[in-house]
Amino acid sequence: MTETELGTHEWWESYKETVNSDPEMNVRGHGKFSENFYVDMGDERVLLEMDDGEIETFVPNPTMNHQWSFGVEGDRETWEEFVRETPPAFNHEIIASHYRTTVRNEDGHLELTGDNKKIFQHLRAFQRTLDLMRVAHNDGGS
Amino acid sequence: MAETYQQGDVEPIDGSYVHVDVGGVDHRIYFEENGPEDGIPLLCQHTAGNNCQEWRHLLTNEDVTEEFRVIAHDLPYHGKSVPPTTQEWWTDDYTMTAERFTETLVNLADALELEDPIYMGSSMGGNIALELADWYPERFRALIGLECGAHSPGFYIDWLDHPEVNTTEVNAYACWGLMAPQSPEGTRRETMYLYEQGATGVFKGDLYYYSVDHDYRDKLDQVNADECPLYIANGEYDYLTTPEDGRQTAAGIGEGATAIEFAEIGHFPMSEHPELFNAYIQEVLADVTGDRDEELPDVLEPDDVGIELHQQGPAREKPAE
Repeated sequence: MTETELGTHEWWESYKETVNSDPEMNVRGHGKFSENFYVDMGDERVLLEMDDGEIETFVPNPTMNHQWSFGVEGDRETWEEFVRETPPAFNHEIIASHYRTTVRNEDGHLELTGDNKKIFQHLRAFQRTLDLMRVAHNDGGS
Repeated sequence: MAETYQQGDVEPIDGSYVHVDVGGVDHRIYFEENGPEDGIPLLCQHTAGNNCQEWRHLLTNEDVTEEFRVIAHDLPYHGKSVPPTTQEWWTDDYTMTAERFTETLVNLADALELEDPIYMGSSMGGNIALELADWYPERFRALIGLECGAHSPGFYIDWLDHPEVNTTEVNAYACWGLMAPQSPEGTRRETMYLYEQGATGVFKGDLYYYSVDHDYRDKLDQVNADECPLYIANGEYDYLTTPEDGRQTAAGIGEGATAIEFAEIGHFPMSEHPELFNAYIQEVLADVTGDRDEELPDVLEPDDVGIELHQQGPAREKPAE
């Protein structure tokens, strides 16, 4: 994959395969992580419907017929930094990025939205799911 | 790269317990040490909610223990330092304050009869270097605040001690992004594993000091770095206390305060990337002892200390076709 392909249908398909074949997700998400969340990349929103630590499906442009617990929002440039093989400081992990946005009031970082309790109840599996974007983006996935 | 050992190797670390009076109460404190008895004492403080195992790679670094008596302790309630047996500690929330923290460290140094020790700590252990320099500058030869800042708000979070959250896991993985992704995955995972060993409520209680009680933004002129040299060394990937925060803190203190950025490393330098940290910190220690001719640079890079970085990025092999 290359950075220019971030967010395409093929990119999401590759990412889904990466998550669903990840050994750590199998340990930490199996039977536990079934909270749907969305990803906003600029003006584009994709809903990830999770089932037992796997991405069951991804839904571009979700509507009121869909359900989610939380989301991650950021502009496209920030996501492109996040998925770099060696991302820059503060855009290298979701809590790091969210902290710089909400506590330090800086622009150019990701922000979490939605149900904080569910985020923390599933933090490790959710965090791993996002980190695997970097694996998929840099040909580390299946 | 982590050390390699063989069957039967015994690491030269000794563990002991010492009794220390804190607030008029006896506390049984566990500590580990290595180095010559007459070496320069180097007292090492772990991060919030963790324990002395964070320092195990420094404790076995022969280049350091040849000259320094490296001592790493568990604060009360952490690691092997159980709560005080004479107190009904279970009827109170555990809450760390600056006064309690400094008293523990100074009384520990007294109990171990450490003469002119160097203090070094990371995160909450880094921030407390400012209070030590303010209140006890005569007790230490030098203070090294790793990941130190005048103010580090926003991490006193209710979810870190909540009955409907797996706090064992959350306390650890809330910190995952504090480390540099290019640090070796094995040592990053071990750092988080150490976090998962913490007792309920202790991490959050420590963070009361770290994110609420500690605020030196308007008190930096009280810090006596001219009496006791103060080094502020912050990792490039530390999003809580950035290298820029360290520079501003040192500038606010003035004489005797030195800020240095550790490149390509994060908030848990001694445990997330021991090889790189051990090389970096020897440059700082050489400055403390006067063995370094040149001033410390503004930024220390891996190349400066002859370290080749671990494979970058999230290591995961692409499966064969």
